[in-house]
Amino acid sequence: MIRRSRLAGLLHLWPIVALVLLWDVWVLANGYTSIVAPRPWSVINDVVGNPDAYAIDFLWTLAISVGGLLLGMLLGTIAAVLISLWAPMSAVLTPAALIVRSVPVTVMIPIIARVFGYEVYTVLVVTVITSFFPAFVLGLSGMASAPASSRDLFVVFGSSRPASLWRLRLPYAVPNLLLALRITAPLAVLSAMLAEFLIGQQGLGYLFIVARSYMEIDRAWGTALVATMLSVFAFLAARFVERRISPRFT
Amino acid sequence: MTESATDTIQSGGSAATAAGSTAAVRPAPAEAIALRNVTMSFDLGRSKRMTALEDFNLSVAEGEFVALLGPSGCGKSTVLRLVTGLEQATSGEVLVEDKAPADLAKSHRLGVAFQEHALLPWSSVRENIALPFRLARRAVDWQRVDELIRLVGLVGFEKARPRQLSGGMKQRVAIARALVLSPDVLLLDEPFGALDAVTRRRMNGELARIWEEQHITTLLVTHDVEEAVLLADRVVVLTGRPGRVRHVQTVDMPRPRHADITRSAEFRAVVDHLTDLLDVDRKAE
Repeated sequence: MIRRSRLAGLLHLWPIVALVLLWDVWVLANGYTSIVAPRPWSVINDVVGNPDAYAIDFLWTLAISVGGLLLGMLLGTIAAVLISLWAPMSAVLTPAALIVRSVPVTVMIPIIARVFGYEVYTVLVVTVITSFFPAFVLGLSGMASAPASSRDLFVVFGSSRPASLWRLRLPYAVPNLLLALRITAPLAVLSAMLAEFLIGQQGLGYLFIVARSYMEIDRAWGTALVATMLSVFAFLAARFVERRISPRFT
Repeated sequence: MTESATDTIQSGGSAATAAGSTAAVRPAPAEAIALRNVTMSFDLGRSKRMTALEDFNLSVAEGEFVALLGPSGCGKSTVLRLVTGLEQATSGEVLVEDKAPADLAKSHRLGVAFQEHALLPWSSVRENIALPFRLARRAVDWQRVDELIRLVGLVGFEKARPRQLSGGMKQRVAIARALVLSPDVLLLDEPFGALDAVTRRRMNGELARIWEEQHITTLLVTHDVEEAVLLADRVVVLTGRPGRVRHVQTVDMPRPRHADITRSAEFRAVVDHLTDLLDVDRKAE
């Protein structure tokens, strides 16, 4: 039984295997030199052979992504809670949130960098902005999904507003917030790397740009490989958390 | 409530039967719920208004079980929502224990069970029943919670989550939750409305048994005639829209009433009479 499920798990990896093989065929068929496009084996070799060349930047991007993700989701949830406690707050927060959401993050990065400086926490700010909106919108709709009969019940039992929030609306928002986490996790990695690429002094985005400018093609492609793995890992971790916790609230 | 208090009321109940009227045994029954000349209309938009209740009067004495019976859409749930304080009357007066209804809710002395069980899906049976303690910011009396779990016959399901329970069990949890703070007033809005006929009948028997243990002032809204007659001291029959009192039927069959009472000739006669009254209403529509 266990062996079978492990086998099934390995079978799930087929797209990765197919991708690596296609990559190799593509390079060979076109006769690209390693300057244009390296073969997968040499890229994998560079990553596996020089883990410490990647480790610090990997951990850096990981920390910024996770930190920005959690902070952004926290702020989004707080904004949703404020609106839920006091409806007029919606007029203040919703337009601001929509504007931030509508402007492409790529365009915003130089402006944010101008405001906050070309510093580490600018990268964090970009990640926070990306992570804010899904938690805000899904958190709001989650809290609104508490059934009318339950809300009536809380009123009749003389519940205070904070108690209704804590014991009714927030728990109803948990599955939605976990969905926001799953949606946002890969986006947080993406925006952290993008910000690093444009303004950073550390992290995978920065490693990529440095490697490219020194024509270290294997290193540049290796960074892309590591970043992809980080992104996929972020998604899988978020999905794991969602699958674990969400059923407890439904 | 202490056991001796319950006993007194129960022996009072049988004396009432002898006297032929429930009101006779309570020398000066305090008025627990009063609706005086209540009119309730809703704005439907485009300058249309729907009048749910018109010039409605109802009085429920302390310790009395009153059932509001009427066709669906006659405004009986509106009466209940007025008494909970969830809705405000357009005109007229609604008093619960001589105060505004919301006062009772705020002081956590109101128990309710709606047609939707409204259980928290993430909480166990035990936690759901304990909820009113938490909302009242009181320490949970787990002994009381477990006593109610016994009373509604859910021993062994303490840790079950609502989705693991049948419809009837969920409603029993809702009833236990309504009773846990020993409320002054109990409001039931078709609590068994979503259940099948057999389960509903059994639940009514159980509710009658539970009510015998502690005569709480109760207002039950239902469209089920048998349910009303089995449980109530008085059945108030409403007309269709706008809701008005058509008839008040005193039910003085002895308590405790078991489910087999529903087969007696006396019971059937009352049920038939009330059903006819409801039917008149439907023909008129």
